[in-house]
Amino acid sequence: MAEERNTATGNQWKVGIGAYIALLVAILFFSGLFMKLDGMKWLSAFDFTTLGGTFGTMKEPAKSTFLGAGGVSAKAGFLFALSLVPTVMLALGFLEIFTHYGAIRAAHKLLTPLLKPLLGIPGLTGLALITDLQSTDAGAALTKELYDENQINKKELVVMSAWQYSGAGLINNYFAIGSALFAFLTAPVIIPLLLMFALKFVGAMIVRSVLNTVYKEDFSHEQ
Amino acid sequence: MSNNTKSTTSNNPFDIFVIGARKGYQIAINNLMPNVLMAYVVAEILNIIGAMQFIGSLFGPLMGIFGLPGEAVTVLLTSWLSSSAGTGIAVSLLSKGVLNGSHATILIPAIFLMGSQLQYMGRLLGVADVPKKYWPLLMAASILNACIAMIIMRFFA
Repeated sequence: MAEERNTATGNQWKVGIGAYIALLVAILFFSGLFMKLDGMKWLSAFDFTTLGGTFGTMKEPAKSTFLGAGGVSAKAGFLFALSLVPTVMLALGFLEIFTHYGAIRAAHKLLTPLLKPLLGIPGLTGLALITDLQSTDAGAALTKELYDENQINKKELVVMSAWQYSGAGLINNYFAIGSALFAFLTAPVIIPLLLMFALKFVGAMIVRSVLNTVYKEDFSHEQ
Repeated sequence: MSNNTKSTTSNNPFDIFVIGARKGYQIAINNLMPNVLMAYVVAEILNIIGAMQFIGSLFGPLMGIFGLPGEAVTVLLTSWLSSSAGTGIAVSLLSKGVLNGSHATILIPAIFLMGSQLQYMGRLLGVADVPKKYWPLLMAASILNACIAMIIMRFFA
């Protein structure tokens, strides 16, 4: 997921008014001046030390994990994220095995006959859609390839992308990121996953019907 | 997640597991951890300046439709930017007792159905060359999906 790129290049020698404001804010942020101002507690939201937060403490050692209880902000977030690492590794380790033994190929086979009646797109798009369940980027690349090779037209491209866009990278994201919430769920873990999978079709069908009505003109030259 | 590289150098299931686990580690460290940390800090800022309570009362009626407290809207808004961050907000609200397990159950499909749309614009719609004209339509469909999901999940939560 997040692949932020630093785009600030080339103008590092221009020092405008914004730069001085940034410097001032930086100094104030790290200074600690905002930490404890009587009557203006909200200012502590812009203080480095306050936002650093605290680790939880072992209020009840018998029950607490290393997260402790009552931690806040960056420190609590860090430890919490750390506590997710084992299950994410476990989930992706097993996903890799299931993929290796053909689980994805079987899913592809089952999905293909549904595509034409439900979404009006050819069965050969199934591979790109299935791939999207694992990797957004790979799914997008396959989709573009299909269009470039004239296997699908513009309208089919939009419908396919609609299917992929809502809940992109579904399986990997759900098990890698969503696993943070699994312990809290009051329903079996599979139910949200099946629902999301079904709704991918619903969303794409909605887009398809809008394309067939509101944007009908755009595709009159295609068949 | 750009991890579709078929590394079929070994057929040993133990080796395959390790390859996957390594991917999981990369995701957890490079992706989950910075996002969750950010989410915790954002939640704390909103909490200190009192915006959380304000958002809670402002969106209370709207979120009530989905059986959620008003504060849950912060999870959805953040999810739109990044599902990891949205999940992080959800967990921090759970640990504060603002949300409970049923709320998490209602929210979880929505987090992913409308999740990370900002970055997927570039990574999916941009890469696949979907004409920009239809982007708002796809976005609206995703948000609609999320709403449908929350309504359905009310019956399971």
